[in-house]
Amino acid sequence: MIPPKEFLRKIKPFSFLSEDEIDRILSGLEVEVYPKNSVIFKEGRKLEHVYLVFSGLIGLFEGEELIDYVSRGELVGVISSIYNTRTTLTARAIEDTVCYVIDKNKFREVFDKNPKFSSFFLTFVSKRFRSFTNLAREREIFEETTFLTEVEKVVSKKPVVCGIDSSVEDDVKKMEENKVGSIVVVDGEQKPLGIFTDNDLRRVVLYGNKSKSIEGFMSSPPISIDAKKPLFDAYTTMIDHGIDHLIITNDGRVCGVITSKDILSQLEPSSSVLALYRKSIKATTIEELKIVFEKMNVAVAKMALKGLHFYDLSRMITSVHDAIVTKTIEIVSKEYNAKNFVWIHMGSSGRREQIIATDQDNAIVHEGENLLDFAMAVNNALAEIGIPKCPANYMASNERWNVDIESWKNYFKKWFNEPIPDHIRYLSVFLDMRPIYGDTKLYNELLEFVEENVTNQAIRFLALDATIIEPPIGIFGIKHLGRGIDLKKYGIYPIANGVRVLALDNKILEFTSTKERIAELVELDVLSREVSSSLLESYEFIQDLRLKHQSKAIVMRGGGDNIISVKELDKLDLLVLKESLKIVSSFQKLLKNKYAVERGL
Amino acid sequence: MNVRDAEFCVIDLETTGLDLRKDKIIAFACVPMKGMKILVNNSYYTLIKPEKYEIKAMKYHGISQHDLNDAPTFEEISEEILTRLKGIVVGHAVEIDVAFLKKYFKKAGIKFERQTIDIALLEKWLGERLGERKTNEDLTLDALIKNYGLKATYRHNALADAFFTAQIFQIQLLKLLKYGINSVDRILGILSSCKLSRCDFIF
Repeated sequence: MIPPKEFLRKIKPFSFLSEDEIDRILSGLEVEVYPKNSVIFKEGRKLEHVYLVFSGLIGLFEGEELIDYVSRGELVGVISSIYNTRTTLTARAIEDTVCYVIDKNKFREVFDKNPKFSSFFLTFVSKRFRSFTNLAREREIFEETTFLTEVEKVVSKKPVVCGIDSSVEDDVKKMEENKVGSIVVVDGEQKPLGIFTDNDLRRVVLYGNKSKSIEGFMSSPPISIDAKKPLFDAYTTMIDHGIDHLIITNDGRVCGVITSKDILSQLEPSSSVLALYRKSIKATTIEELKIVFEKMNVAVAKMALKGLHFYDLSRMITSVHDAIVTKTIEIVSKEYNAKNFVWIHMGSSGRREQIIATDQDNAIVHEGENLLDFAMAVNNALAEIGIPKCPANYMASNERWNVDIESWKNYFKKWFNEPIPDHIRYLSVFLDMRPIYGDTKLYNELLEFVEENVTNQAIRFLALDATIIEPPIGIFGIKHLGRGIDLKKYGIYPIANGVRVLALDNKILEFTSTKERIAELVELDVLSREVSSSLLESYEFIQDLRLKHQSKAIVMRGGGDNIISVKELDKLDLLVLKESLKIVSSFQKLLKNKYAVERGL
Repeated sequence: MNVRDAEFCVIDLETTGLDLRKDKIIAFACVPMKGMKILVNNSYYTLIKPEKYEIKAMKYHGISQHDLNDAPTFEEISEEILTRLKGIVVGHAVEIDVAFLKKYFKKAGIKFERQTIDIALLEKWLGERLGERKTNEDLTLDALIKNYGLKATYRHNALADAFFTAQIFQIQLLKLLKYGINSVDRILGILSSCKLSRCDFIF
């Protein structure tokens, strides 16, 4: 058997094909390589081929906006090839990519002949999930463990229930308060009698009287499934009955409701991050946020191992993270009635560069009102959700970092004018501040003050700080390799800190991410394009390595650290790491010269 | 000629051994490439009946004597093979394969002359560009398959090996393009200079 055949065999839906059919496909097969950034096809084209990614990564773009990724083992171009329609997106190689390019006529022949093969596409590609029923009976298709997880593990909300005599109006209010699309009608023992969904609501609006009891409008008898049943059964049950909401029971008692969306979001890790984002926005309790956060870590880890890059991931994580924090503050402030403040993040979260094992780094700028209790409650809630407290206590619950705007100004003034080591450290932390929640006016005022009070002396000390730890590069390569390399200490800090110095010196304060700062520095001609692109590449590479390293730990249920050992690196990684550390080193030289660090301060 | 317009023919042979004088070709495989595109659909594989049977090699390759009995002799299909060997011949340690082919073609009364590219040599050169000295162990086909992320659960079939070789060559071409090397002549030049310096690890 030739290798392409072997590869195809393992991939759904090619695994459904007979020997002859696979040979048909192979008879129209070419293997093409696309260099990074090259276009595979443009939007508005009728395709002649179906593309199966063998290695690398393709991005699908609408204009400049990245819509989706296609990675190893995934197909693109099926719709256009089968229906002879024009493509709606442009496909571009995000990495060097090798594709199996299949002649569309050969593909179509097999598509028309083999219903199992074609229904796979009809369901997954055109998202016509109704025809899923037929496929669903063919169990062997779904070896994925996601389909075998127990239903209860996917349910995150407590069920919203009501009695049979309650009025429709009251029940709809309940649904609205809990932001759910259905309410389960139960008896005294929490056993389901019926379910009332958004769909039933239409009938109330059209024909009903909202003050009447819900009994007349609910769907009954209700369809339910036991909490221990696999997700797969839940989905087939829903499709068989043509429903979107399914009641989950434990010992006959209602313990949750699952929707088809919940299930579909389990299918694709990247769409599940989107779903988690939606969930965090809709969440009403700390418990729900906790579940979202846990799932996010796993989803992110999986995506990282699938080959998604640092910048894309950190952008997604930052959005979900921000949403979780915002929601937490909203929930907590109900109790504390906190006003007139801005909640700030520093460190990697401030730079929008956080990945997995990131601690809380937050602070409050207020207008004089004491908000310590409130901050403590938020910090505790975040810790409960799973975001660890900062061991160095850079947190809003620390009275030093929870002060009014004038005190903050005094801090910065002092730090800028007395550049002792502690103050330089504070500057490194707080110059990455970014407002998360509250009154951004306060933040802007502080930023303006910082800009006006920067001192050259402080800048030089910050430059010294960014260059003092040199990467372990010797004539023979990386030194002390056997002990592992601290990626944060030798790679990430020197670049992030060095770029921050240059940004500060050039009054680029509103941008906090290293990438944006570098882009601005190029605009201002402070950095050349060559230096900036090699710096960015190194930064991303080291971050990627760290991300993969931590992802492995998460998937295997351990904690993540920053020390990567040689065993984890393949030869090429090691080579690129060496190059990256060399770039760090020459960037440090550039800083030293620019700020005359060597000549003493 | 630009690499993207060139024709390549990636080959692999199965032989009873490496001794040109007494060993025999028992299988031939080729996978053509148009520029950087591998034309899987035009790949070709045939067993070849040796004039005398050598039991030991048959065991080694998993090719039975019975299989070979029904196979054509090289002479019978020499024209077919010749027409398939279009463009530059590419292979792993391809010199040996080409020497075998030359000998067989000569017996069939055909002069066989082709430019060749050895992916192992190319790999060595690429390694040096990155400041790496590749040992002979790093350059075996198995090692290359592994390093290029091509999983080989099934090998020691000439067609599979030819295909893997093509995939490795494809990525090597991509790397060369990134160094700004996009002409066939440059690549051939690089390899001939590499051949000369190969003495340093022979002696």
